[in-house]
Amino acid sequence: MMRRTWWIYLIGVLGLIAVAAPFAWMFLGSFKTQGELLRVPPTWWPEAPTTQNYDDLFNKANFPRYFLNSTIVALAVTAGNLVFCSMIGYALAKLRFKGRNALFLLVMATLMVPGMVTFVPLFVLVTNAGLANSYPGLILPFLVSPFGVFLMRQFFSGLPDDLMDAGRVDGSSELGIFARIMLPLTRPALATLGILTFLGSWNNFLWPLVIAQTEDKYTLPVALALYSTGQNAQNFGLLMAGAVVVVIPVLVMFLAFQRHVTKGIAITGIK
Amino acid sequence: MTNSIRRRLVIGSAALTATALALAGCGRSEDSPESAPTATTSVGSGPATGELTVWAMGTEGENLPKLLTSFQQANPGVKVTVTPIPWDAAHNKFTTAITAQSLPDAAMVGTTWMGEFADLGALDPTPSSIDTSGFFPGALDTTKVGDVSYGVPWYVETRLVYYRKDLAAKAGITTPPTDWDGLKAMTKAMQDKAGAKYGINLQPGGQGSWQTVMPFAWSAGANLTTDDDKQFTFDTPEMQEGLKYYQSFFTEKLAGTDLPPNQTEAQFVSGQVPMFISGPWMVGSIAKLGGDKMKQNIGVFEIPKNKTSTSFVGGSNFVVFKTSKNKDSAWKLVQWLSDPKTQAEWFKQSTDLPAVQSAWQDPSIASDPLLPVFGKQLETAKAPPAIVNWEQVATAFDAEIEKLAKAGQSPADTAKATQAKAASIGTGS
Repeated sequence: MMRRTWWIYLIGVLGLIAVAAPFAWMFLGSFKTQGELLRVPPTWWPEAPTTQNYDDLFNKANFPRYFLNSTIVALAVTAGNLVFCSMIGYALAKLRFKGRNALFLLVMATLMVPGMVTFVPLFVLVTNAGLANSYPGLILPFLVSPFGVFLMRQFFSGLPDDLMDAGRVDGSSELGIFARIMLPLTRPALATLGILTFLGSWNNFLWPLVIAQTEDKYTLPVALALYSTGQNAQNFGLLMAGAVVVVIPVLVMFLAFQRHVTKGIAITGIK
Repeated sequence: MTNSIRRRLVIGSAALTATALALAGCGRSEDSPESAPTATTSVGSGPATGELTVWAMGTEGENLPKLLTSFQQANPGVKVTVTPIPWDAAHNKFTTAITAQSLPDAAMVGTTWMGEFADLGALDPTPSSIDTSGFFPGALDTTKVGDVSYGVPWYVETRLVYYRKDLAAKAGITTPPTDWDGLKAMTKAMQDKAGAKYGINLQPGGQGSWQTVMPFAWSAGANLTTDDDKQFTFDTPEMQEGLKYYQSFFTEKLAGTDLPPNQTEAQFVSGQVPMFISGPWMVGSIAKLGGDKMKQNIGVFEIPKNKTSTSFVGGSNFVVFKTSKNKDSAWKLVQWLSDPKTQAEWFKQSTDLPAVQSAWQDPSIASDPLLPVFGKQLETAKAPPAIVNWEQVATAFDAEIEKLAKAGQSPADTAKATQAKAASIGTGS
């Protein structure tokens, strides 16, 4: 038994090191001085651990504000995606109406258009709507995503119609069938969509940068880029400390939902 | 060079910029630069009023509000809002904003972006009533696109040769060299007598290496373009002479192609490579790494002379956008920023070097052991021409410099290849 499985563990351990080492480096690096960070050969453990980077981060910069902005935007975008993508996905998968397939194709077609192409027109649109430098401007364009619609539609398609019929026989309304019977069954897909959307929104850099016209609307990645990168020099220590703070909520979220996510990816992959 | 990292990030998002520009290209029918811009010809004499929004990058954006408190005291009717923008993505933010016409009233702008933004029709020409005679001429050139001036230089930097004073003494060098032979002899002595691995750290190609090559080529009498900025002039005997000198450091093993990048400060502090060519920010970086004691050992001297001693001038300009609804007050702000007193005050707050020559007489600068050398060099320093495609041409030039330094491509071939590439890219205007 041992002879056959040891190499699986070896591969597993190597994979773990490959994934975890950069995080460890980032975490340890956030306690180093700029001089030590740039030294060759590099050091693994900080020689003289310092919390200076964190001090700079929280004192110099208006960090709680950026954190709040990022949280508001990411939560709103995630909530919007969960609600709207599941509704549209359900309609496209389970409700019969004229032009359903054409509509689905249209949604798929928007998936093919690279974001860079729509970026500037979207910016012009949002600015003309008077939403520049506002939370709606940061949130609205991302409330629903074609990928989310696709994911939810595929998942709903895999659920048997008999469940809906049973609901109808028992006298449930159409909304009740969606909300009480079908939606709870899609939990793995919702968890996947939730995490991916949250991650995407949390890490989004270019849109908040362009749409925020004053500093108090900056999100974490924008603020981090602002404070760690100069014209001729980079503050790597601050960058590391900021990255640690940015990554923690994502890690927490992933650990909380990871069971659902792996299940979700596996199930949606099969169907 | 640490700035290569920032540049790489900027290049990485070039696709977006290209899109923005392409769209800008089709979208502006009424606003083409050909239609005569409605110039603000003079600035009123009253105090500035109303609301002003200003964009500034990085630490400048962080420090500017503090400086502006005295502007607001002098002009009680004005309210200035400063938005700091990350350097990494500032170019993207500007080009997107230009396309959507949602620009601030005034902004700090990188000197190499001037040609592009002016070509997009975004900048307001400098009113004739603003006196520009006090600026360093090289810095002032960066505000000129074609025959029109846009904005003013705000702060400047230039490149000097850095050396370790203690190791130079060990190598028997008591006075810094002033000509090309002297520099060569000094790097050789550093290597032979002071235990250095390489005498001098020169960038062997890669992003921004042209900024180290051009000081030598300019000093040999070369130019990047003809006087009217219409043709490139890379393939000239003067340019070849500069390239040949640069290459000789690598062929004579006085500069290395095998050094790890981003280690210039570390190698300077350790004595491994006790000389390099860079800008004023390196003093702070070295002090941070090596402590105050190392700071005492930093020496700088001007780019050694061939025909002239001509270095590179960089920095940032301050511009007013054409879309501003409060141009008069915006120009008053620009005027105030370029006042020698404000410039000296700004130096104390930010350590950005003043673009106005008379501000250098302020004791905080004049009594510094190193800064006056930068001031001297700035008097003759040159900038690349403000043409739309400069960044693209520079990238091509960097690639050829790499072949020159690492693969032994001859100076003549390098000059010819760069000229051919630059000509095919074109000036863009």
